[in-house]
Amino acid sequence: MVTLEIDGQEIEVEEGTTVLKGAQKLGIYIPTLCYEETIKPYGACRLCVVETIVNDRSMFQSSCSLSVAEGMIVKTNSKPVVKGRKILLELYLSRCPEVKRVRELCDQYGVTETRFTTFDKSEDCVLCGLCVRVCEELVGARAIDFVGRGTERKVDVPFERVWDECVACGACTYVCPTGHIQNEAHRVAQLKRQLGIQRKCRYMLMGAVSNKLCPNNYECWRCEYEQRTEYRLGEHAVLALKPAQRQGG
Amino acid sequence: MTFEELQERAREKWKDTEESSTPIVRVGAATCGLAAAAGEVIEAIEDEVKQLNLEVKLVSVGCIGCCYAEPLIDIKKPGKPRIVYSFITPDKAREIIKDYIVDDNPRPDLAMGTIGEGEVEDIPRFFELAYYKPQVRLITENCGTIDPRDIHQYIANGGFGGLKRALSMSPDDVVEEVKKSGLRGRGGAGFPTGLKWSLCREAKGSPKYLICNADEGDPGAFMDRSVLEGDPYRVLEGMLIGAYAIDASEGYIYCRAEYPLAVELISNAINQMERDGLVGDDIMGSGFSFRFHLFLGAGAFVCGEETSLMASIMGRPGRPRPRPPFPAQSGLFGKPTNINNVETWGNIPWILRHGADAFASYGTERSKGTKTLSLTGKVQRTGLIEVPMGITIDEIVYEIGGGMKDNATFKAVQTGGPSGGSIPHYLGDTPVDYETLTALGTIMGSGGLVTMDDRTCMVDVARYFLGFTRCESCGQCTPCREGTKQMYRILDSINKGEGKPEDIPLLKEISEIVIDSSLCGLGQTLGKTVLTTLTYFPEEYEEHINRKYCRSRVCKRLSPAPCQAACPVGIDVPTYNALIAWGRFDDALEVIREDNPFPAVSGWMCPHPCEKDCTRLETDKAISIRALKRFVAEHEIKAGRRKKVVHPSPITREEKTAIIGAGLTGLSAAHDLRREGYPVTVFESKPFAGGMLRIAVPDYRIPPHIVDYEVEIIEKNVGVEIKTNVAIGKDLTVEDLKKQDYKAVLIAIGAHKPVDLRLSGSEGEDYIHAIEFLKRVKAGNREKPGDVVAVIGCDHAAIDAARTAARLGSRVTIIYPRSRDQLPVGEDILKEVEDEHIKFQHLAVPTEIVRRRDGSIKAVKCMQTELHEPCLDDAGRHRALPIEGSELFVPATTVMVSIGMESDLSSLSYKLATNELGSIIIDPETLETSEKGVFAAGDAVTGPATIIEAIAAGQKAAASIKCYLNGVEFKEPYKLVRPRMRIEPVEVEEELETFRRPDELVRPSEERLFDFEEVRLGLTEKLAVYEAKRCLRCDYEEEEELK
Repeated sequence: MVTLEIDGQEIEVEEGTTVLKGAQKLGIYIPTLCYEETIKPYGACRLCVVETIVNDRSMFQSSCSLSVAEGMIVKTNSKPVVKGRKILLELYLSRCPEVKRVRELCDQYGVTETRFTTFDKSEDCVLCGLCVRVCEELVGARAIDFVGRGTERKVDVPFERVWDECVACGACTYVCPTGHIQNEAHRVAQLKRQLGIQRKCRYMLMGAVSNKLCPNNYECWRCEYEQRTEYRLGEHAVLALKPAQRQGG
Repeated sequence: MTFEELQERAREKWKDTEESSTPIVRVGAATCGLAAAAGEVIEAIEDEVKQLNLEVKLVSVGCIGCCYAEPLIDIKKPGKPRIVYSFITPDKAREIIKDYIVDDNPRPDLAMGTIGEGEVEDIPRFFELAYYKPQVRLITENCGTIDPRDIHQYIANGGFGGLKRALSMSPDDVVEEVKKSGLRGRGGAGFPTGLKWSLCREAKGSPKYLICNADEGDPGAFMDRSVLEGDPYRVLEGMLIGAYAIDASEGYIYCRAEYPLAVELISNAINQMERDGLVGDDIMGSGFSFRFHLFLGAGAFVCGEETSLMASIMGRPGRPRPRPPFPAQSGLFGKPTNINNVETWGNIPWILRHGADAFASYGTERSKGTKTLSLTGKVQRTGLIEVPMGITIDEIVYEIGGGMKDNATFKAVQTGGPSGGSIPHYLGDTPVDYETLTALGTIMGSGGLVTMDDRTCMVDVARYFLGFTRCESCGQCTPCREGTKQMYRILDSINKGEGKPEDIPLLKEISEIVIDSSLCGLGQTLGKTVLTTLTYFPEEYEEHINRKYCRSRVCKRLSPAPCQAACPVGIDVPTYNALIAWGRFDDALEVIREDNPFPAVSGWMCPHPCEKDCTRLETDKAISIRALKRFVAEHEIKAGRRKKVVHPSPITREEKTAIIGAGLTGLSAAHDLRREGYPVTVFESKPFAGGMLRIAVPDYRIPPHIVDYEVEIIEKNVGVEIKTNVAIGKDLTVEDLKKQDYKAVLIAIGAHKPVDLRLSGSEGEDYIHAIEFLKRVKAGNREKPGDVVAVIGCDHAAIDAARTAARLGSRVTIIYPRSRDQLPVGEDILKEVEDEHIKFQHLAVPTEIVRRRDGSIKAVKCMQTELHEPCLDDAGRHRALPIEGSELFVPATTVMVSIGMESDLSSLSYKLATNELGSIIIDPETLETSEKGVFAAGDAVTGPATIIEAIAAGQKAAASIKCYLNGVEFKEPYKLVRPRMRIEPVEVEEELETFRRPDELVRPSEERLFDFEEVRLGLTEKLAVYEAKRCLRCDYEEEEELK
């Protein structure tokens, strides 16, 4: 067990716990965009950056990926942290001015407008990488990935055409915080064309349901099963699967 | 074969070659040498050796350091020291081979220095040269000496001795030794190497990996390449020692694929080491085993970051991941991994061979040893240097680098490439060590040192490096991806002159955030360039943003063509030149008229400051800009086209302005105001508008009808009301004007009152002011002023008076206190004057007018002068001080004087605040006088100035009056100077390549001395078009630059 101090409160947590989890335990809110409990921390959105003091040395580190250390002092809401978050949110707002999730976060921090230039108003991808990571780590399909470097970076399918790797599980669309990922429908239509009405549905492919005819005529975006599993499990089936049941993870 | 046997054999082999009777020719054939055509030199030497039938051992070695002097060859003859020759061409190489090897003439004229025992006459010691003296060569000790393809040469020079010693110690002791040496990571961050090793040694997991980071990607950095190309074994030995200390069994060398020679040499070195049992199983019989893998990076800058680099080796996209876990815990393939860069590994063998204390004796308290730096940029001597830590920037720049090229001024040095920052020249005493550089906001980095002189714009530097990091950011974390995008956009807009004052704090904020919150080292350092340039060069940012000015003339949008920048009214010279080149003469004239209402007057009379700055001067002679202007104006006047069009612009405003004086200043101001729709009336006491040009400047310089032509355009086409023969102060008063509802009054009465010299003997009709004489002649009185005329002074009025007197039959001498090259008139005019048989009495200052008993003038008595260094208040000219007791007589019957003019305010009968010299006190910003709404400009304020300055003064007055009438505060309008239109360059015919600046046609002196017709006849159409085509088009921007 490791003892540390977060925002003035002392807490004892297991070794290897992340600072973010520790803070959540204390009920302290740290904003995140690219964090998902079941997926490995990625540290890309940088909204969860907190100030840490170890051996009198102050540093800014992402709380989602930072493991706790004995005697660590964490400030999740110090002045420089909030200032940085605000500028980050301005950057997000300039990138995706129309995205609801970004606007919500901006509202939380009182960011109403951005001093930066918006290049493409319709941009709705924040490049959090959740879709890419859920596909690789949980589904094991690796059907999508980042393409391009730096400012050219975007999420895409290999060589810009839908490959057979996609099992149309829809986990990517589920985790996407902005609604950018919508490739699923195309892939479903393609699968339907290829296999005809007799094909198994994606939950059958994943082994989550038995081989039965689909009651929804394979119009997967209306899937009752999905609705039901989500209702029962509290989240998308892919994310709810236990680690042992995951492929490739 | 044991290592000892190997060592023995290598040493013998080395001794044999060094002492054999065969001369050894070493050619620096690292990438730097090859780029300077060392390949051709090698071919030439081979060929020459064959032809002369010599026996020579030719060795391609690495870079010895002084890349600026490449290609280098060095020749070792038995019993002689090595002689290094620099700047070798194939021809020089042949010469040296012949002269030195065959004829034993060491050619000191081509030699740079000697290395090794013994001396050669007239050749300095190589390592005593200024470039090498402050250097300490530990890691580069073998570079340029050993053959990087022959392991035995490395062994003979002590190679693998460090490994031998390490293997005799326990791994812990090796780590301790490295810790004791104080060696810190040379990749940039400066993490203590020994500590890093011990962390990895203690980490659980097997196997453990070593990585050598040879992904050197900083622009302007080539230290690692030089070391790998000059001495690859050293780095591999270092890795072997590290592997033994850490207990690693495999090592990767991650070398960028752009270093083909380094890659070739490393793989060759690994093969040789395998052959000789220095790598593989049971190395040197110690039971320790190790294997190398060479991995080629495909060129992503971010792969120099350790987590990306490992991802890349693992076959994944080169993107960083959050740390912890650190590579020492979970690195390559999830195993404990130790990464060091080339230079760090290269230092290890030296430390093990000579001991930690020897290493720690170099450097500063916290930064030990030496650092290789690639000295690049604007210094005279560039290349790879190795210096002890703690050396100052000044020592590097001035002693090693030899100062700036072309006598430029040192401005700043960028350390650490795009991850570092700039250190300004005034912090040149900064010692180069990790802590000091960090404190200044930059980093040591891997050792790129880009020197910059005053021709480098710091905003542009920041933009350049940001452009680099923007493209090289992997795009994973938001601050780095979005931050670089936005920072680049801001810097680019500043660079293009679209910056806003709030951009500076915004840039600062965002740089800090990107540094603080980025995921990996790339993002955490890239803001430093911006922050340091903002901290140390804030004035440059401010100038770019507020004044649209780039002092280094780098930012193209802020740097109009030099001719345009030099022009006081900013005429778009390149555009009108280009239009002339296309034969579009009328369009060219309209382009001139946009900025200058007097194209013809300027074409005839302008002193053309533009031509002094012409870029073409660097190759031959300036473009004849003035003559071209005259050509287009004359072209129109001859065609009479303009006169037909009469449609003055409409009057859209009510506020009336009165302008007193219809000289160039008054008319320019009137023109500008009227064009904007303000009603303007110009009052002129003389019968003609045009000022001095019309009433004093002789006809042979500018015929009156030229002035009248442009005045008429201003009157008829623009619609300015000009009332001549109305003297303000006599016919009307300023108060009257105000009563007549003139909201603003501009006093532009010029400077007509001559300054008197007050010499004794200066009373009488034969002593006259040059300007009075000129006015008299211009008015029609062409009476000879006297047989022998002495003109005192050498301004334009004096010269004109002299020339006029010469035309009227006088013999003329001009008395001038300085020498000929200090004359304030142009060379072209001077030549014309001399052709007209006018004499000069230089270096004389008049003291008295000597008169005969009958009262007529006999001579001007002068004192001789001598020139002294200029002092600050003297416009940069030499001061002429009279020599006491010297005496000189210039015979004369008439004396004319022109030593300046001042404004005569008394005629205005209007009370204005004046200074002790009698000139009007004005607000220098707004030109407003002590009376509200009354402005003053031009010669009336400044004293006599050039015509183009007079026009500029009028324009400024108009802008200020406009603001006054609108009730807004006047600020100097800093605006972007852009070409008026985009004109494609013309095709330049072959015959034009040898075409030189044409002289204007000038009438021969024997003809022109007897009339008042024009002296100059301008350019013909063909010459004008040819001349315009010589323009280098400094304004021109390629399509992509315009975006």
